[in-house]
Amino acid sequence: MKYKLVVLVALIGLVALALTGCQETTASEDHSKIRVGIVFDIGGKDDRSFNAAAWQGVQRAAKDLPIVLRDIEPGTPNAIEPAMRAFAERNFDLIIGVGFAQAPIMELVAKDYPNIRFAIIDGESKLPNVASLVFKEHEGSYLVGILAAKTSRTGTIGFLGGMDIGLIHRFAKGYEEGARSVNPNIRVIENYVGVTDAAWNNPGKGKELSLAQISKGADVIFTAAGNSGLGAFDAVEQQGKQNGRATHFVIGVDSNQNMVKPGFVLTSMIKRVDNVVYDIVEDVVNRQFSPGIHVFGLDKDAVGYSMDDFNKDLVSPDALQAAEAAKKKIIAGEIKVTDAIGT
Amino acid sequence: MPKLARDLLFPLIAVVAAFIVGGILILLVGDNPIVAYRLLLGSALSWPDGIGYTLFHATPLIFTGLAVLVGFRCGLFNIGAEGQLYIAAFATAWVGITFASRSAWILVPLCFLGAILAGALWGAIPGVLKAYFGSHEVINTIMLNFIAVALVSYFTQYHYRVPGDPILQSAFVGEGAHIARLGKFIPGFPERIPLNLAFLLALLCCLLVYLFLWRTKWGYEIRATGSNPTAAEYGGISVRKQIVLAMAVSGALAGMVGINEVMGYRYRYYDGFSDNYGFTGIAVALLGRNHPVGVILAALLFAVLQHGGIYVDGFSEHITKDIVQVLQGIIILFVAAEAFFKWSLGRFGFRRLKA
Repeated sequence: MKYKLVVLVALIGLVALALTGCQETTASEDHSKIRVGIVFDIGGKDDRSFNAAAWQGVQRAAKDLPIVLRDIEPGTPNAIEPAMRAFAERNFDLIIGVGFAQAPIMELVAKDYPNIRFAIIDGESKLPNVASLVFKEHEGSYLVGILAAKTSRTGTIGFLGGMDIGLIHRFAKGYEEGARSVNPNIRVIENYVGVTDAAWNNPGKGKELSLAQISKGADVIFTAAGNSGLGAFDAVEQQGKQNGRATHFVIGVDSNQNMVKPGFVLTSMIKRVDNVVYDIVEDVVNRQFSPGIHVFGLDKDAVGYSMDDFNKDLVSPDALQAAEAAKKKIIAGEIKVTDAIGT
Repeated sequence: MPKLARDLLFPLIAVVAAFIVGGILILLVGDNPIVAYRLLLGSALSWPDGIGYTLFHATPLIFTGLAVLVGFRCGLFNIGAEGQLYIAAFATAWVGITFASRSAWILVPLCFLGAILAGALWGAIPGVLKAYFGSHEVINTIMLNFIAVALVSYFTQYHYRVPGDPILQSAFVGEGAHIARLGKFIPGFPERIPLNLAFLLALLCCLLVYLFLWRTKWGYEIRATGSNPTAAEYGGISVRKQIVLAMAVSGALAGMVGINEVMGYRYRYYDGFSDNYGFTGIAVALLGRNHPVGVILAALLFAVLQHGGIYVDGFSEHITKDIVQVLQGIIILFVAAEAFFKWSLGRFGFRRLKA
């Protein structure tokens, strides 16, 4: 009896030793290629929006360029720092952080690894090895505001924000200005899902708020709420169609979300996070990485609205014309869209 | 066969069995299980970063595990550790900000007191409600969780946030409220690793909880109440007092998570910092057989899975975060279903091992 026990314990010990003993050798150890690590936001890479856009960008880069790509979805705030360090410890060449909440953590980690290049999307850092990639969301939001006001029949439109912060106010302000440029008396109902990180990942509350907006007369709702925004899609679909045309519309954000609920999505305010991420990877591959703050607006086609087969019958030619005209004026500097953050 | 060996053996067998089942899953996803497990354990136990972070992740779980344990021993199901630790973490930061200019000699004990008292107070509320009004502690602790999370979120958002900061967090606490990271004392262990004195405090609390429950009169009364309240009452123990006391001690233990988070890691209150520590604490206490030593081991298991899981997500070919979570779930399920192993081992001739 005793022997059986000893043998069992010894076996378990051996297995444990074998597992911990040697270091692994996977593709991530291939030093001949540029190694890129990306750390997603709490929402995760399948949010069909902001993180998804970043994910598309790096995946496209991995297909075209000689890189090794690794990704981590931390899922909780306390896992972001170890995730970033996991890449840094292994001497990755470029570490990308998705979302402004990672900026302070990236500063900590980037200081410890001055030879590794870092890139932060939506956040700002002045460290010499960090590239900050920020967007002029207000410019793109202005254009979808025009489309919303031109489409609305009730004279009331909605805005559904995720977390109640400056970055999202930037979307809201631009949207409102664009709408007012069409109809100065338009009513804009503004709601936010919450004040914590969890606000990005609560489609239930997103739907609830959207239904409330609809009951107050809103017939176009612009979402800037990550995963929570999908609730607005459900709410609008629930209103159904009349004579083959939806009665209420939603405007997607970040990624092209027109195909999420075909027929109900007026357009999407796209933020070409994918292109910007792709470019930064390409820069590192070509040894042209430049730190500092990079701003991407309408002029670089980094923000805008999406038109495709799913929504070409939903947007009227008149609305399209107005949006295109405004776009030219913004690029030329004739229209200045207010930036709610004020930088 | 000694009792301790038996208590350790079955969870160990369960872990190994879980790894085998998990391995089949990994094979199905298209990865090599050996490589994945090496990643999991190798990165969670590497020196110094792996061990440092694993122990850092284990610290809050030891506290919440102990908190749930103390409740269980009194026959109470404290699901409120999550709320208690949020209130306590905010209170710690509040003390650290309000008395920021004081020296460490004053500020550290003050912050400790803040964390412990706030946790104890928040824990005592459902205790009082249960003892004097008979409303069930499960409902009350769950509801108090919501209140706590929303309350501290509100105060951070509207009163203690640095203007213009996009992140929902408070200002920094005073320098005097920082407690040392263990890197200060251990050569070759960098100070950037957030493992701090709170870990030693957690171990100390395990000892104290043991002494309190099994070596003092109060602990005896709590356990007596837990095993049979009617008999305890008959024996001259005030059951009401024990319930309030147990919930307050439980809350105080959960509250010490705030010491680790605010004084040892971020040096500020960061809203939404808890990775469900309070709820994981329930699993930690149950896996740990409601014993302080078991709590340490269970907390370590959870921490290894959490920290190693980051690496498995990042550096394996096909395994994503979801698969990592499934793996974690399988391991916990198997350890929890220990009775099954006892039964099956009994059938295969290990009869004398059965409890």
